[in-house]
Amino acid sequence: MLFRILKNSFLKRPKAIFLIFLSIAMGSAVATAFLGIAGEISHKMALELRSYGANILIEPSAAEGGGFLREEDLPKIKTVFWKYNITGFTPYLFGIAEFSAGGRKERGVVSGTWFTKQLEVPGEEFSIQGIKGIAPWWEVQGRWPEDADEAIIGASLAKRLNISSGSDVTTIVRGGNQKFRIVGVVTTGGYEEEQLFAPLVTVQSLLQQQGKVSRVQVSALTVPMDDFGKKDPTTMTKDEYEKWYCTAYVTSVAKNVEEVMAGSRAKPIWQIASAEGALLKKLNSVMLLLTVLALGASATAVSTSLMASMAERSPEIALMKAIGADRFQISSIFIGETLIISLAGGVSGYLLGGQLAELISRTVFNSTIASPLWLFPTAIISAFVVAIAGSIVPLRRALLIEPVTVLKG
Amino acid sequence: MSENIIETNGLTRNYGDICALKPLDLQVPEGEWLSVMGHSGSGKSTLMNLVGGLDRPSAGSLRVGGKDLLALTEDGLARFRRESVGIIFQQHHMVPYLTAVENVMMAQYFHSVPDEAEARSALERVGLGHRLKNRPGELSGGEQQRVCIARAIINSPKLLLGDEPTGNLDHKSTIMVMELLKELRAEERFTVIMVTHNQEVAAWGDRTIYLDDGVLVREERTAG
Repeated sequence: MLFRILKNSFLKRPKAIFLIFLSIAMGSAVATAFLGIAGEISHKMALELRSYGANILIEPSAAEGGGFLREEDLPKIKTVFWKYNITGFTPYLFGIAEFSAGGRKERGVVSGTWFTKQLEVPGEEFSIQGIKGIAPWWEVQGRWPEDADEAIIGASLAKRLNISSGSDVTTIVRGGNQKFRIVGVVTTGGYEEEQLFAPLVTVQSLLQQQGKVSRVQVSALTVPMDDFGKKDPTTMTKDEYEKWYCTAYVTSVAKNVEEVMAGSRAKPIWQIASAEGALLKKLNSVMLLLTVLALGASATAVSTSLMASMAERSPEIALMKAIGADRFQISSIFIGETLIISLAGGVSGYLLGGQLAELISRTVFNSTIASPLWLFPTAIISAFVVAIAGSIVPLRRALLIEPVTVLKG
Repeated sequence: MSENIIETNGLTRNYGDICALKPLDLQVPEGEWLSVMGHSGSGKSTLMNLVGGLDRPSAGSLRVGGKDLLALTEDGLARFRRESVGIIFQQHHMVPYLTAVENVMMAQYFHSVPDEAEARSALERVGLGHRLKNRPGELSGGEQQRVCIARAIINSPKLLLGDEPTGNLDHKSTIMVMELLKELRAEERFTVIMVTHNQEVAAWGDRTIYLDDGVLVREERTAG
């Protein structure tokens, strides 16, 4: 009988039903679209943020005498558990040197590094590593070095030496010297402007530190730090440690890298990691707030439509009460109606929301997006939430209807 | 001697400062057909609403079928209405989007379990076997009222309340409805309380009470 009541009610009041359906479908669609792109936006933003610099620094551990890391260990970074989150890394070997050019002599730092290193690791995907990838904001006037005797020089050091692209610089260290052709002048806004950057292998030879590096900068995709992520892993239980290790916190990725680099200590570069975490957290909060606001607006629209519908149907409700329907029976009819509409609204919202998410992703990020499966139950649940929230006030009104007043001849 | 199905003692209903029903003592034996007469605003509908559990008294006591209606909760009163009372209104209220048989089944649904065969049979008893699938808008006033009668008796109530059930009907339909009620009462043995201001309709009852300004002013037994 309940089915007959609901069916006939739907068939005889198509306009009112359609309005409620539309309100629910719109709310569900917006929620689905926002939640669908929230993950994508976080991912894209995290990728964008990676261009602001490395967030993990690997140095020789103090326990190992604070000397050097081994270059031969570097490929292992691309074999760790979080290898797909590591978007790039580059090693450095530093040395104090005297630079001589055009009769001028200045002291500074010579840095050996990878610019664009083709890295092949057995069993892993081919990748290109180096400073060009992890420091894309560096402005190079000229070009990047390609040969062993080519270098780029920091703008500040170049000014002191009064040289530019095309000049030759002799780098003198204790026990040797190396002539470099300057192919670019680099502006970074930081301490790098006092350095000369040359291919790692050349600097290793110059400093007589073959196969050694001073530090490695790693750029990794990580999740924002929370209280659990900040816990000291040495105080964790086994289960906690597993959960921490399997979450891409900057600390757990650093730990992961440290394990494969002999004699190393990997630590987060907090000013980068914290800024990223705070930004992503704010972004997620905004998306969540927008979703809640959309659902709230939708619930209000449902409530308004239902109130109008209830006013129109008050004689029907009064009659049902007069012939013996109790509050539960009245509620089941109206909640049943609303839930059926919300199911249809949820399915439509899911389909519509998927299209909306696709449109936003294409417009904003110029990429496509795959709707994850969990969005379907999310759409249905958000439709139910909207329907139930929107029904509370109208249903209360319906239950307060007095048959005597409404049915009075 | 029959037991009283309705017993009131000092039954009063006030609406703010207005006293719609002044302290009333009334006994109605089981199976009696009681007509309630009076002018508009005399308190007759108020009495019917109180007895039917549609309204609550301001003072006094009210027992119907052995139940103290003042002690019942909102849902308790709803249960009392669906189990013990059948109500027929002047406006023959029906759910507009349900057919005649579905309107009758709705009362079954609220009572227990809908049974279409039984609902059809009830409509056949009131002479509407050919109108089962028609909606209220497709029925005449008399036919609608007969659907309401079928709906009122479908759960075998102890008490049938009519609030001017023939008020909107022509003379021919009025006679038809009254004869139907008489037949059904003879078969089902329910008690009838019929509110009317039509002397001819009141005469179908066993007893008539007259209310004026919320006070029982007179009662008389119907001859024959």
